[in-house]
Amino acid sequence: MSTGTDILLAETGAELRKTIRAPEFVIPTLALPVCFYLLFGIMLSRGGAAETLLATYGVFAVMGPAIFGFGAGVATERERGWLDIKRVSPAPAWSYIGAKLLATLVFAVFALLPIYVAAATLGGVALEQSAWLGLLMTHLLAVFPFSLLGLALGFRFGANAAIAMSNLCFLSLAVLGGLWFPIALFPSVMQGVAYGLPSFHLAEVALSFTRYATDKGTGDHLAMITIMTVVLGGLAYLAWQRQRT
Amino acid sequence: MNTSAVLHAQGVEKTFGTTRAVAGVDLSIQKGEVCALLGENGAGKTTFIQCALGLTRPTAGRVQVLGQPAGSRSARGAIGAMLQDSDLPELMTAREHLSLFATYYSRPADIATLIGDTGIEAFADTRYKKLSGGQKRRVQFALALVGNPDLLFLDEPTTGLDQAASRAVWNNVRAMVDRGKTILLTTHYLEEADALADRIVVMQKGGIVADGPTDDIRGRVGGALISCQTSLLQSQVISIPGVRSVQEKGRGLAIVSEDAALTLRHLLDRDRQLSDLTVQKPGLSEAIDSLTDTTTQEAA
Repeated sequence: MSTGTDILLAETGAELRKTIRAPEFVIPTLALPVCFYLLFGIMLSRGGAAETLLATYGVFAVMGPAIFGFGAGVATERERGWLDIKRVSPAPAWSYIGAKLLATLVFAVFALLPIYVAAATLGGVALEQSAWLGLLMTHLLAVFPFSLLGLALGFRFGANAAIAMSNLCFLSLAVLGGLWFPIALFPSVMQGVAYGLPSFHLAEVALSFTRYATDKGTGDHLAMITIMTVVLGGLAYLAWQRQRT
Repeated sequence: MNTSAVLHAQGVEKTFGTTRAVAGVDLSIQKGEVCALLGENGAGKTTFIQCALGLTRPTAGRVQVLGQPAGSRSARGAIGAMLQDSDLPELMTAREHLSLFATYYSRPADIATLIGDTGIEAFADTRYKKLSGGQKRRVQFALALVGNPDLLFLDEPTTGLDQAASRAVWNNVRAMVDRGKTILLTTHYLEEADALADRIVVMQKGGIVADGPTDDIRGRVGGALISCQTSLLQSQVISIPGVRSVQEKGRGLAIVSEDAALTLRHLLDRDRQLSDLTVQKPGLSEAIDSLTDTTTQEAA
């Protein structure tokens, strides 16, 4: 008899296998954030950008695999009837989502590493070991709200619409959340919008590990992230309930 | 209440809005039976199967698999299913899919043996994406067997397959029948039901209208099947003595008659241009038509 752990590991292995066999998804998803970082954080850098953009582009790097992996992935597997085959089998429902989350965490590490390496070498970012660790934890924490967002999109929309919606969410969260440019450059209305986005709060927590922390309210940001994660989890649950008749 | 049944459905109803897709189905399937569920599109077959699989909850009634409620983990562990319109992730091979699914079950089949038994060795290590339609169906069939199920659901197993691929799936099914597996099959193809099933259940408008051994159902029609080309209308033919049912078939008519000689005399009398005449014993197809066709009921 297989234990839950065996199922989860086998399922995660399958997820990772599927991922690396889709280079047309993996390569751009891994390359885009680090290329942006090299361009804006290092080549066009004006004082401190290497360090601040390390914090914000880390959040950006994790968003891709989480939103698209779950959004497009779940929508496609649902539309093709794969989810029904799983539901008929005795596989526990949590193993499907748990495995996707684990695989996304692994993917996220690979998306973050090149940015960290570029920052530490070319960018000359020198942080304490504990700060690097805090940064990594924050960036990996970002997997959860964004995966739940992707999950909600994947259950709610068909494959094509889910990809379009994922793109919309991905770009809005990046730009309006201040991952590309600090929200201080935005008009005040747009700054208000940023406060409603998990990407902004995650970036603020990440910045708190650099020398460029914008405020001292890390606890407030973490609270907002928690609330948003719970809300997104609720949306994902509703979308899941709605799609089963 | 029958507790030894592999599948036991009692008063199953399923309504979608105002539509009653399944309207009170009672069905018990015993160990070793191969039961074909027949009926037109919209007769409620797939909805009933979805209730039995636990994919959807019946509005009323209940379904049990080996005494466990359908959809419960133990019920799911005892069944295998090949679903309609279901595809596996494209980037994994059959062997990888089977190995993953084997972890879900308490007594899974040996993967290498299963691959051999279902005849999919030749493409077991090819990514699913690159397989032909028939090969994909056979991989799905193998996947349905990976848990060593007591009850196998096959929902339209050969729809869309060519003759050769259908035969391959049939051979797989027959091999399982020989091993005493219990099978519930839905199909559009009567030939398939005739070839595989020992019991036939016919659904119409959400209810069961006939249930019996395949030979009985076939024999229920009796009489003879007359095929011909005629200028007479269906409505004219139905009033001819002996005629039980009339169906359009190709460019002509297929007439089931209780008294072929009598019917033929009238037919030839009324249409002197009648051509392409054949008389044969009715098959399963005519039997099902006469069980579900409304013109029959009017004539009877």
